Amino acid sequence: MKPVAFDYVRARTLEEASEMLAAGGGAARLLAGGQSLGPMLNLRLARPMRLVDIKRADGFRALAADDATLSIGAGFTHAEIEDGAVEDPARGLLRHVARGIAYRAVRNRGTIGGSLAHADPAADWVSVFAALDGVAVARSARGTRRIASGAFLRGAFATALADDEVLAAVELPLLSAGARWAYRKVCRKTGEFASAIGVVVLDPARGLARVVAGAVEAAPVLLPATSEALRDHGPDAAEAALAEEIARLLPHLDPAARRLRMVAVRSALRDIAGEG
Amino acid sequence: MDTGIASPRLRIAVALTVNGRRVSAEVEPRMHLGDFLREQLNLTGTHLGCEQGVCGACTVLVDGTPQRSCIAYAVECDGAQVTTIEGFDADPTMAALREAFAAHHGLQCGFCTPGMLIASRDIVLRLGDVPETRIREELSGNLCRCTGYVGIVEAVAAVAAGREPAADAAAVPVQARVAAPADASVAPASVAAAPAALAAGGAGIAQTIALGVSADAAWAVLSDPRAVAACLPGAELTALEGEAVSGVVRVALGPIKVALAGQGSITLDQAARSGVLVGRGRDGGTGSSAEGEVRWQVVPRGEAASELRVELSWRLSGALAQFSRGAVVEGLVRRLAADFAANLEARVAGQAPPAAQRELGLLALIWAVIKARLFR
Ligand SMILES: Cc1cc2nc3c(=O)[nH]c(=O)nc-3n(C[C@H](O)[C@H](O)[C@H](O)COP(=O)(O)OP(=O)(O)OC[C@H]3O[C@@H](n4cnc5c(N)ncnc54)[C@H](O)[C@@H]3O)c2cc1C
Ligand code: FES
Ligand code: FES
Repeated sequence: MKPVAFDYVRARTLEEASEMLAAGGGAARLLAGGQSLGPMLNLRLARPMRLVDIKRADGFRALAADDATLSIGAGFTHAEIEDGAVEDPARGLLRHVARGIAYRAVRNRGTIGGSLAHADPAADWVSVFAALDGVAVARSARGTRRIASGAFLRGAFATALADDEVLAAVELPLLSAGARWAYRKVCRKTGEFASAIGVVVLDPARGLARVVAGAVEAAPVLLPATSEALRDHGPDAAEAALAEEIARLLPHLDPAARRLRMVAVRSALRDIAGEG
Repeated sequence: MDTGIASPRLRIAVALTVNGRRVSAEVEPRMHLGDFLREQLNLTGTHLGCEQGVCGACTVLVDGTPQRSCIAYAVECDGAQVTTIEGFDADPTMAALREAFAAHHGLQCGFCTPGMLIASRDIVLRLGDVPETRIREELSGNLCRCTGYVGIVEAVAAVAAGREPAADAAAVPVQARVAAPADASVAPASVAAAPAALAAGGAGIAQTIALGVSADAAWAVLSDPRAVAACLPGAELTALEGEAVSGVVRVALGPIKVALAGQGSITLDQAARSGVLVGRGRDGGTGSSAEGEVRWQVVPRGEAASELRVELSWRLSGALAQFSRGAVVEGLVRRLAADFAANLEARVAGQAPPAAQRELGLLALIWAVIKARLFR
């Protein structure tokens, strides 16, 4: 099996990568870990004329923090997060999630940025990014722009990134010591993409309570009423609000698919309750 | 399209170290590392099964960690240290694993074995003595078509017994974060066209769209194939003769771009204000094809309003279908349907459709939007 012939260039900086994308007029494609793009190239589903490799670009793999936020360079791999080489701003959530993505040999190449930019609705980082209400830092030759998770994730395989923009980093809140989280990924085989995802993040000190239903064939869905019930009255109240809200916000899923999301989120809420 | 890209360079020079030996070569950028090892270096111990990252047969070490050689390209590995199954003769852990695989009947045909051994060595060295469940979890990315998992897991457990895990990975230093590096003046620019995908197998949806125009005004547009096509972003009508239509429908799904060229027929029922389009199209590049049917009907809702009912059914075959799940991205369909309705309303009112919407793969409404995903 051979991909369609393509040219390959290596970008030294993200700005240079952006210029290369603009010059390619839609026929150039960024290459990070290649763990989503590679299979599509090999099957000739994706047929770009040029790959712009950003793996070694300056500033693509940097960590920066202040009191409230950790900025994670888009080029860090799932394995580096799994191993704790990348500080976990969410008190173990990221390490836990990373270990459940694909297989170690894929995690050694695949990047957090590539996963978010690819925006497969069933991808793990997509749901986590929404649950932590992260911010995407988009870089282009035109400058830098910061995009909140809700605006960044536009739908299945669709993000707010413009054609010449590179996802440079993701900014995530540094959760406080008393924060709790739960993550439930429903899939039949270890390492598979999820059939359903439930994520709960509760950080009373930061006033953060977010319950998200993921892998819903579109951008992950924040459940505001359930989140509010969790913040004000705890996990049991949140569970009581859940069924109605899932039915209201995900009417388009078929009943079995809807139930699967329900179960994923409910299990995550019970995990939180169990710890409390 | 002006891509600014001349024809791809045929070969690019790379220098890497394979099993301790320096190798320089000229490679086609599209050659993956697995092919490079097998075809150019004759290291045929690396096996290729799926070539899409799933089976693990092609696993090698790149810079000391196991990676898939089928979804890493040789050009990317310039400067890397690669170790294939042929490169472990002097490795004591691998020697112990070889013995254990033999003792525990960890292989039958041997196809998965090179990848299994390299993954197993990583488990033993990285994790040390872990429970069997963890070994199974870690080995889940290596498929054995002879299904000899029990022996393989026993072999790994035997070698891992009593071992310490590797020391924690060195932490990446954290710099001070400078206040938001945002440049508010950067405009969002043109956002990439929203992807529309195609469903696997047979699938269908029904959709009702409220229109702020009278049924007659809506029907005037919806009974004119050229006008309908103009409201469908991504669709282009190339010929129209009687009931026969030909055209192209363009869709994008992340990095996948398809242009389905095909023929169809349109049948209209003026009295019922309804129409049926049946068509099939093929994308030469991906070798995928789609066939589908759209039924639409305009129903009056008072004087100045009406309702458009659309029913879609479609079927995909070829490469794209292998990657698709049956589930429809209903959210996306609804968004596309809303754009179609907006375009239709604008057209009826005599305005040009909003430019941004013209790019959308509204063929969604015809071939429908689906969701494709690898490995389902
Ligand atoms: C067998 C297998 C199983 C998998 N299972 C899972 C799973 O269970 N859960 C999961 O979440 N993922 C899974 N994945 C996907 C994996 O996590 C990928 O690593 C990830 O989706 C893409 O990251 P990448 O760095 O490899 O990106 P690439 O493949 O290099 O790129 C993907 C897309 O994003 C674009 N892109 C990449 N980086 C950037 C950037 N910085 N800015 C803008 N655009 C960019 C590319 O142009 C391309 O279109 C699996 C993959 C495989 C092969
Ligand atoms: S051949 Fe590489 S994972 Fe199957
Ligand atoms: S031994 Fe035959 S594939 Fe594993």
